[in-house]
Amino acid sequence: MKAEEILTAAKAEGRRVLDVHESRQVLLELGVPMNRSALAADRLSAVKAASEIGFPVVMKIVSPDVVHKTEVGGVKVGLRDAAGTGAAFDAMMASVGEKRPDARVRGVVVEEMVRGTELIVGSSCDPQFGRMLMFGMGGVFVEVYKDVSFRLVPISTFDAREMIEEIRGKAIFEGARGHPRADKESLAKVLVDISTGVARHPDIEELDINPLMVTEKGLVAVDARVILGTLGRTCPL
Amino acid sequence: METLKGHPLYPFFWPDSVAVIGASSKPGKVGYAIMSNLILGAEGQLGGGFRGHVYPVNPSGEDIFRQRTYKKVGDIIGKVDLAIVAIPAAGVEQVLDECAGKGIRAAVLITSGFSESGEQGRERERRIVEKARARGMRLLGPNCIGVINTSNRLNTTFAKKAPPRGPISFVSQSGAICTSVIEYSAGEYMGFANFVSIGNKSDLEDSDIIEYYAKDPSTKCISIYMEAAKDGRRFYETLKKKVVPVKPVVVLKAGRTAAGARAASSHTGALAGSDTAYSAAIHESGAIRAVTMLELFDFSRALAYQPPVMGDGIAIVSNAGGPAVIAADVAHDIGLPLSTLSKDTLEAIGSVCPPTWSRGNPVDIIGDSDLDRYQRVLEILVAAPEVHGVITIVGPQAVMPLEDVAHMIVDVSRTTQKPFTASFVGVVGQPSEDYLDQHGIPEMEVPERPVRAMKALHHRGLYLRRRKFA
Repeated sequence: MKAEEILTAAKAEGRRVLDVHESRQVLLELGVPMNRSALAADRLSAVKAASEIGFPVVMKIVSPDVVHKTEVGGVKVGLRDAAGTGAAFDAMMASVGEKRPDARVRGVVVEEMVRGTELIVGSSCDPQFGRMLMFGMGGVFVEVYKDVSFRLVPISTFDAREMIEEIRGKAIFEGARGHPRADKESLAKVLVDISTGVARHPDIEELDINPLMVTEKGLVAVDARVILGTLGRTCPL
Repeated sequence: METLKGHPLYPFFWPDSVAVIGASSKPGKVGYAIMSNLILGAEGQLGGGFRGHVYPVNPSGEDIFRQRTYKKVGDIIGKVDLAIVAIPAAGVEQVLDECAGKGIRAAVLITSGFSESGEQGRERERRIVEKARARGMRLLGPNCIGVINTSNRLNTTFAKKAPPRGPISFVSQSGAICTSVIEYSAGEYMGFANFVSIGNKSDLEDSDIIEYYAKDPSTKCISIYMEAAKDGRRFYETLKKKVVPVKPVVVLKAGRTAAGARAASSHTGALAGSDTAYSAAIHESGAIRAVTMLELFDFSRALAYQPPVMGDGIAIVSNAGGPAVIAADVAHDIGLPLSTLSKDTLEAIGSVCPPTWSRGNPVDIIGDSDLDRYQRVLEILVAAPEVHGVITIVGPQAVMPLEDVAHMIVDVSRTTQKPFTASFVGVVGQPSEDYLDQHGIPEMEVPERPVRAMKALHHRGLYLRRRKFA
């Protein structure tokens, strides 16, 4: 499905939060590189998807009603083989069913497990200035050090490069102490693409890519979350 | 100024005639101070009062400053371009009606007691804006001190002093910041083209004023004090597309912290957006953000009087070791790149200095330097292709009279398009300082300030270079 169709469908259902799979589709269309992933509705297709993607994999619950997946046992990492994947599927269904019996469950996504340096990219809405873009160090860094930079959307490539250079811990994704080195031009392109994308879709109020991984093979977005504005309200640009 | 005739803000700056509604003959009243500034000129105002007609309006009808006083605006014979309203809030709505009836299209509302003071005031403000819109009038204020134009000596304020004439145009949400800037500027020979206090921004807001300043030929640098934009996105777009491409802009946006934002909100009743968004907006537009009043002064002065830095490399020259070290540290901290001096430049400086000179940048030419050595080194640095601006630091001592150094620096600066800033370290209120200020070289008594001022010029230069190659 196209991003616009996904957004329209969610709005029609009165939903503000897109599920993992929908969020991934939207980001792919914006041009963001994503890790390999497949949607699986049952145990068998989950195992099949994992074998195709290649172990190890991560499994996440797909439900429009579950925002914090970890808290309901909706995330399993480091699944190494078919047996483990099958068992993880059963455990996840049981756990989510027990903790959130009301939640609609569409299945799980099985994703390629990616190692690297965690970056974060997000877009939010300021009441005075409208849409903004954030970039910085992900994981613990964003919470503790707040090592992030902001710009108003839309940004230029120049702005994107500046955002990258403003990060105090940039030495880490520049390859310090054996960390994988990010290609800054690709990174700038991701930022510009997201900026252009959210500007094109006024219904998106928030968008988070956390983490965007810097790997030896390049940049890969691993988790994404898209939230729509409340009914009829769009972010001023 | 012909180009701006017909601009909706033109009557706020270039009225042929003004009516002062609430004019008073009693010293101590706001309506008296405004009349005094218009008729006699504020303290420090060269050439006296406003060049146009002034019509006092007061129900008593008694002469004020020997001017015939009218009981009502409608009684004035002849055209009125601008109304200055300084009467209690309750009467403003009716006065606006009378002004509109007289054909006045512009009004400065000095009066307070509107949206800054509770629900009743907010409602009152809403009504006057509605009235003005319906009758085709533009409003400045309320709760402001209005406009100063140093060219025609229009001064609608009740400030005690007038700023010296010059190239800076200022817009402030706070009237008190305006009067403080006026006080400061007089002592520093920092000249202004226009001053606007916009108060509650019921109609005209920062974006309108800076758009006008961008077109005003006497304005070389635009300075803004704001607590909250009325429309943040519009402010950003105006800066980015219409203002910064033609003139440098310095913004002091106060209320950075939670404590400051609370104070600002109770101060003007405005909703402050997140400071992160303001920072991003100011930066992305190409304007420069000042954090303190001192930075607002220093950046504005540098940008108004000095050319931008058109390359990546500044030289620091000093006869004083310590202050040069402080300057170098600050330059590094704020990301002002210092020139790596070429072999030729080093040799040239070496040929006029004793062997104990620093042999690098900062160029420490040693405390026993006389005027001749300082001048030769300065000339070498100005001619060096790797140097794009010079920070001159002077430690006072007995072998080099400060006033002579000041004259020498001004003379050398005139031979080049490269910008100069200066610190005569620890020197306050001396003729040397005045001479530099009067000749457009920003001089401060501590070495970190000219470094920051140079950074503002570097920022502007980067912006211009980026646009050129974009």
